[in-house]
Amino acid sequence: MAHVLPLVPLTLTTLLTLFARVALLGLVPALLSAQDAATGTVSGRVSARPDTGATASASSATVSLAGRSVGALTGPDGRFVLERVPAGPATVRVRLFGYRTVERAIRVRAGDTVHVEVVLQSEAYLLSAVRTDARAVDTETFTTKPNVGTIAMGAAAMAGVPSVGEPDVVRVVQLLPGVVARNDYSTGLNVRGGEADQNLILLDGHPIHNPFHLGGLFSTFMDATVGGIELMTGAFPSRYGGRLSSVLEVHSVDEAHSGVHATADVSALAATGRLSGAFGRGRGTWSVAGRRTYADALQSIFTDNIFPYHFRDLHARAAYQLPGQARLSVTAYHGKDVLDANLAEFATDSVMTKAGGGQWAYDWGNLVVGVTLSKELGPVSSPLIGWALGDSTTIEQRVSTSGFATRLDLGDGALTQRSELSDLRFSGSLLTRGASHDRSIGYEVATNRVRYASGSAQTGTTGFDLTQRPKTGALWIDDLWRLSPRWLVEGGLRAEGLSGRDWAALSPRLSVKYLASSNVALTAGAGRVTQWMQSLAGDGALRYFDIWIASDSFIPVAAAWHYVAGVERRLDAGSVRLEGFVKQYDRVLEANWSEDPGRRGDEFFEAKGLSYGLDVFARWQPATGANGWMTYSYGVSSRWRDSVRWAPGHDRRHELDVVATWPLARYRLGAHFGLATGTPYTPITGEIVRRVYDPSRDRWGTGDPRLRLEPLGGVRNSERFPPTHRLDLDASREFLYRGATVAPYLSIVNAYGAKNVFVYLYDYSTDRPKRRAISQFPVLPSLGVRIGF
Amino acid sequence: MRAAFVAAMLLISACEIEKVAIPVTEARLATHGVLSASASTQVVLLERTRNGSIQLIAPPFDLRDPIVTDEGVAETGAIVRLEMPGGRMLLAREDNLVSGDASGRGVYRFLLPGASLERNVPYRLSVLTRKGEALRGETAVPGGVVAPAAEPRQFDRARDTAFIQWPAASGARSYYVRIETPFGPRAFFTDSTRVRLTGDLRNVELRSLAHVFIPGFPQIVTVSAVDSNFYDWYRTHNDPLSGAGLVSRVTGGFGFFGSLVRLHFQELRVVAPQSEPVAGKFRVVGSALEVSTTPYLSLDVYVESPSARSDQPDALSGQFQKRPTFSNPGCQICGLLGNSQGGRINLYFLRDWSAADTAEVFTGEIRGDTIVGSYRGFGGVARFVRAR
Repeated sequence: MAHVLPLVPLTLTTLLTLFARVALLGLVPALLSAQDAATGTVSGRVSARPDTGATASASSATVSLAGRSVGALTGPDGRFVLERVPAGPATVRVRLFGYRTVERAIRVRAGDTVHVEVVLQSEAYLLSAVRTDARAVDTETFTTKPNVGTIAMGAAAMAGVPSVGEPDVVRVVQLLPGVVARNDYSTGLNVRGGEADQNLILLDGHPIHNPFHLGGLFSTFMDATVGGIELMTGAFPSRYGGRLSSVLEVHSVDEAHSGVHATADVSALAATGRLSGAFGRGRGTWSVAGRRTYADALQSIFTDNIFPYHFRDLHARAAYQLPGQARLSVTAYHGKDVLDANLAEFATDSVMTKAGGGQWAYDWGNLVVGVTLSKELGPVSSPLIGWALGDSTTIEQRVSTSGFATRLDLGDGALTQRSELSDLRFSGSLLTRGASHDRSIGYEVATNRVRYASGSAQTGTTGFDLTQRPKTGALWIDDLWRLSPRWLVEGGLRAEGLSGRDWAALSPRLSVKYLASSNVALTAGAGRVTQWMQSLAGDGALRYFDIWIASDSFIPVAAAWHYVAGVERRLDAGSVRLEGFVKQYDRVLEANWSEDPGRRGDEFFEAKGLSYGLDVFARWQPATGANGWMTYSYGVSSRWRDSVRWAPGHDRRHELDVVATWPLARYRLGAHFGLATGTPYTPITGEIVRRVYDPSRDRWGTGDPRLRLEPLGGVRNSERFPPTHRLDLDASREFLYRGATVAPYLSIVNAYGAKNVFVYLYDYSTDRPKRRAISQFPVLPSLGVRIGF
Repeated sequence: MRAAFVAAMLLISACEIEKVAIPVTEARLATHGVLSASASTQVVLLERTRNGSIQLIAPPFDLRDPIVTDEGVAETGAIVRLEMPGGRMLLAREDNLVSGDASGRGVYRFLLPGASLERNVPYRLSVLTRKGEALRGETAVPGGVVAPAAEPRQFDRARDTAFIQWPAASGARSYYVRIETPFGPRAFFTDSTRVRLTGDLRNVELRSLAHVFIPGFPQIVTVSAVDSNFYDWYRTHNDPLSGAGLVSRVTGGFGFFGSLVRLHFQELRVVAPQSEPVAGKFRVVGSALEVSTTPYLSLDVYVESPSARSDQPDALSGQFQKRPTFSNPGCQICGLLGNSQGGRINLYFLRDWSAADTAEVFTGEIRGDTIVGSYRGFGGVARFVRAR
């Protein structure tokens, strides 16, 4: 081999490590001279959990003893040794830029060695870009994990991306490679040819079933609560299951500073407030955040008309470092959309009937409560579970409940429809880190309750009432094998089962990284994925939320294979990645728009599918100046059933997005430009008038004032919308006012007023038929201010 | 539901950015046909889908001409046949051939009384147009005994609930419950053989979710056993954007050919408490000449719904009695709708019982027990005094 990768790349990290060792050596005489006869040794390992959530060894972290001139920098493997530490109580302090400082109380015994395992948590800053941390972590991840199809992004990197009325991380995710948004009105994610219901969305590791507001216009994640995201677009590790296309992990931000801190964000649509703080000398953090839209309140103040809609979110998070290297964290989220109105209150109704208008109630929301307890066990050398545990071990246990419920009530009970999904989930893992293997084993069991019902209290009838109580279980193993300095192999196997269908499956996962040089890597991955929760939302242009029902004896489990291959090059201040993918659907389920509610088994059509394409992701993160990313995604998707083939509605083919932010001294500027080819649609080729038979008089037509017109579709998705393009701009200025950081911002979506088509509407009622194009977002300016105390 | 949501979203921020002429498309054959066990003849409607080739207008609806007067494109001159269970073929006659005024285009009638329909055996419809297009459908009439009209009964919507029960019908896919209202029927399917209708039932088929039961109006409730073609055609809709979803089982076109057996027929005469000042029974008063010439003799007024906002009027409903004349046939007692606010009153005298067709508008005010006002069409002042 012509080029041999050095064991430790000669980078800044290496130099710092060498410097630290030299410095430590330089300190030895002094330490020796000051040595008390009763001394001990403190050794350990520091890991960092960045926004990505993936823990990795933290190199160049400063380890010191509080109040003493003893310190060291961690090596590339995160290890450190402090020798000749005076016996007695001491406090180990670990610092790394971009992470919350950790202090750990220890007791040093003479002649003994105290082992300390520290996991650093990333620290997000309000309004200040922290790019160097992300870059360092990315570099670390690049050399230590295959990370196929995975993109991580911290809050700082997402700050400054122009927002649609309200800052939204899912809108940012839509700008990442391989992700297609059907249109401006949807925050649904179509990842690498997958449908929008095929994404596993996790909040601090706990599933959230329908994280959208207002028909998908906004996500449920408040910007102020998000510390970072990690998007896995294919061939994900075996610990993830239950969805066919992607995993989106959203991590809450933990407050780093002691005391009570407050931020407020008043946007054009909503007001968000967050209180947070740290306590117990940094051992614990807490935060509470809430958001509510206020268009309804404003409307009622200034006019007699009503705007009977609002949504609200409440997010709480706490974490505490327990004695014995254990950490407990709790995340809770509750959100609700409320659309309640008496239709009589709308001034637009006709004089004849407006007083008689009935009540309309439509609300939906999520509730998530999750607890995670993790403990660093330190080095365990004896074989306990069939293989030798590594140098350090982390055990983690999660308990969560996640629910989504929606209720539609028309006319005071004249028609009620409800969809409810809730689960109680236990999961855990044991991760051992060794010199060449990081092995993990885990489980997940859940009991679920699904109800989808429709009926009328006023008529005493039930349209349908489906209740399911499936139980699921999964066992998974994963081994990240550092085969050589050049090769990283991560293999895993996931065994899953579902009651109600007596279904069980084995899903292998494999990803490989070959480090061709210190900054170039080739990657490949493959894996089988399954999905047993299916959405009835369909393939429409608007996706307001998913109505979930579980696979059972009537509904099969969907399954697909992922194949990914790519190349990634690290640059001094960024990276470039190119990945090709193939996703082969053995079975993909399509909601049956015409399903008979009185019968089981026709809820879905079973189809096959294929998606393939290529993603390019170039990211630049220099220490100063502009930063951002550029993505180009090429994708082709097709589905077929009964010899009929069609392109799904999200088959966009080409999409280019450029995102950039410029942090200046007082200003921060942001811009996004998107250019994409059109998605397919079905042309309407005519209309049929649906006649109604009157059985009371046995005749056709009763003079019913309504003309029941039904549009008639042509060949499914046989035409495409025109290409779309859009420029979004964002500017904010930060200044201090009476001790508070105030940052007003202005976002302009579609700054130059591009006329992008959302849908076409047809009129065949005249002898000159017409087609009207309805726009996506017009020029949409929004103002807001963010205040931090 | 999805259509409503699409509409709502479009209202939020979208706007029209382009309007272009598009080519005329192919007009396909469409049919609506029902074999009814209670009908004296069986009718099949035949028309074309709207394809942009004709400027459609909406003249007043005429029951004898239910396609042309309801924005349809009638398909005339077709050969429409019904194959009976024994193999005998029945030929339909188009109504426009006998109407004398060309009305009834596209209305094909089989002289086949419902009582003679055999149950749970296939009837096959075949259509051959003048262009040579063929359309086919098939249905089997469910079992069950046709219910005669029950005695009308009073229904106080403030306190009554109608409990309706019927025997199961063999071969029925579902039961079609339908209540006639002045704003259009409220209809739904149920697999049960019983239903209750509360007095405050709302019509979810109307955007305003108006009450189903309107005081002052006679409202017919029917329950029919229907076959799967009828059930699937009326329970489904096309997605407004993709134009797919309707379950059509005819071949060679769109539409349905189904069957029904009416199992329950009840007229409810809806009333409500008349406690409000504007509510009550009123009779016309005046000079002998006035009384002898006024076209409307009495009013029976209810507050259908009190206003939801202070700036809105109360909604009124009820009925009025017409002076019988040779030149003014039709109902003698007909429905009225209206509103009232701040002593002002507007009454819309319906031509029959449908809100779609107003015969006269009366505008006036309430003075104690007297309603004084004038007719927009007939003119002149009229006074109605509360009847004791």
